[in-house]
Amino acid sequence: MPFAEAARIALTSLRANKLRSFLTVLGILIGVSSVIAVVAITEGLDRYIADKVLELGSRSFAVQKMPDIITSREQWMEMMRRRDITMADLEAVRAGCADCAQVGGMHFTGRDVKYGRVTQTSVQVIGITANVQRIGAIRDLTAGRPLVDDDVDRARAVAVVGQDLVDAFFPGGMEPIGKEIRLGTQPVTIVGVAEKKGAVFGNSQDNFMWIPISFFRKLYGTRVSVIIQAEAASMEAFDRAQDEARVIMRARRHLGFAKPDDFSVETGESVMELWQTATRGIYVVTLVVTGISLVVGGVVVMNIMLVSVTERIREIGVRKALGARRRDIVRQFLVESVILSLFGGVLGLLGAALFSWGLAALLGSIMATTFTAPIRLWAVLLAVAVSTLVGLVAGIYPARRAAALDPVVALRSE
Amino acid sequence: MSEPSAPATTVSAAAPAASGNGHLIEAHDLWRTYAMGAEEIHALRGVSFTIAAGEYLAVMGPSGSGKSTLMNLVGCLDTPTRGTYALRGKVVSQMDDDELAAVRNREIGFVFQTFNLLPRATALHNVELPMVYAGVAKEERLERARRALDMVDLGDRTSHRPNELSGGQRQRVAIARALVMGPAILLADEPTGNLDSATGDEIMRLFGRLHQQGNTIILVTHERDIADHAHRTLFIRDGQIESDTIRNAGG
Repeated sequence: MPFAEAARIALTSLRANKLRSFLTVLGILIGVSSVIAVVAITEGLDRYIADKVLELGSRSFAVQKMPDIITSREQWMEMMRRRDITMADLEAVRAGCADCAQVGGMHFTGRDVKYGRVTQTSVQVIGITANVQRIGAIRDLTAGRPLVDDDVDRARAVAVVGQDLVDAFFPGGMEPIGKEIRLGTQPVTIVGVAEKKGAVFGNSQDNFMWIPISFFRKLYGTRVSVIIQAEAASMEAFDRAQDEARVIMRARRHLGFAKPDDFSVETGESVMELWQTATRGIYVVTLVVTGISLVVGGVVVMNIMLVSVTERIREIGVRKALGARRRDIVRQFLVESVILSLFGGVLGLLGAALFSWGLAALLGSIMATTFTAPIRLWAVLLAVAVSTLVGLVAGIYPARRAAALDPVVALRSE
Repeated sequence: MSEPSAPATTVSAAAPAASGNGHLIEAHDLWRTYAMGAEEIHALRGVSFTIAAGEYLAVMGPSGSGKSTLMNLVGCLDTPTRGTYALRGKVVSQMDDDELAAVRNREIGFVFQTFNLLPRATALHNVELPMVYAGVAKEERLERARRALDMVDLGDRTSHRPNELSGGQRQRVAIARALVMGPAILLADEPTGNLDSATGDEIMRLFGRLHQQGNTIILVTHERDIADHAHRTLFIRDGQIESDTIRNAGG
């Protein structure tokens, strides 16, 4: 029997039992939609992390004492024993890295900041060279001026502040520029206000202040490790620039060939990798849950196919009397089972689209940014492939039972 | 739609038997035994007969006589426990399931008491069905199915479903379906059993016409007046042929 004929029979019988067909494929629907939705959401989060948190695709990298990711106490102890990176190291990289467009330095610490009687806690105080403002994701200023080289050269007590500080200290549109805030006991004059970035995973990106690195070192001492912030001249030179910086650092520290780096070169990608390791865990859990629901879904399909065979024993007898061979009957019921499951897979796909769209809207409103959870072609193919497979596996036993029916007995059945 | 090229629609005129002695059906010493627990039940006990092409034969017998069992064997739905059964010179009694299916498809046209049409399929599709299993191409299938329905005067009912047709019309669809492959025999099991007598007569007239066109017809019935339409009657009792009466075919 040609496939088209089998498909026609299957569709007729599905149409005749709409509600039953729908209930039958619920398991497959849930399985398929949950896997696709979870994958879409995690992919959306990946992209969100990449775009908003790590600003991947930028040409910036950092040379620092400690790696971004430390996985054990032992590792932390070991890293703490590394030598600090000095301003001299910074100057050497700035002078020697031919493929770097910008090389700057920074320190940061968390402090309380006061204005009058108002205290803003845990402000990220970042000491920078002026060019750091031009590396990586650039923040425009909404008021005032940026820090300039002269501020750094003279270690001026000036700051560019984030919007959270403005909101806390100058409510109702008061002018922040020129006001003196206090960092501990040290007065600092606000010269600029940085644009608002909002929150990432609930953490405000605007509770910070930039001060000249020289001023930072005056306040908090010079025995702190510098984070070298560099930007490659082009995307093509990105790896080369990192290598140059690495070679300069190794040369300055007289590291032999066999010795590993005693500093870390970090790009957004290293954090991305950690994030993706975590997401892989989510994938595995999802796959297990989905696997269970697909098995249950398959059992339901098999059960209903057995019912369908029982209901249609007479029809099978007639078909056999008219010349249907075993394989014709097997094919008829297999195609029906596959089409039934595919129906579940397609509904699952729609469900996933709806679900991830809804969840994306929810996450987006929580994080105050646009957030998309895209459904990819491979997800569609996966849904089709998985539901076809479930249909085949669930259908083979009922189909064989139907095919093995004795036509004499089948024709006699009521 | 293009004109079908194959003139294969030999709805009438079954081909003459190919075997040496010219018999369409040769049954020799057919036994059919069922195991009922430890007991063996002999539904047929050594039945032998021959049927020539173009015969119109009735198989009669009370219920439990073995006539249904015999019909199953003749219709290739079942194989005998012992003995040989040859159809058009081919020994059917040793065939496996799929070979039997192929024989049923090409050589047997079944007409059932309860019509046995597929309820969700149109008349046209019901008639198409045997050709689907024979692998006939779609266009030819449709053409032949329409012609077969024309032959039973249902050319205007092709897209009706069984529940939109009267009992007589349903049985005529079933007859069209039985004829569409040009089978060696038309095997009708109580074809008027579910019809009122007027409709039954109409169906019997159709059988008469089909016989005149050269079809071989085997009628299984327990009604004497239905059997009287045939020209030869096999009477079965207790799994054996009690009598084999040939009446002079009136025409």
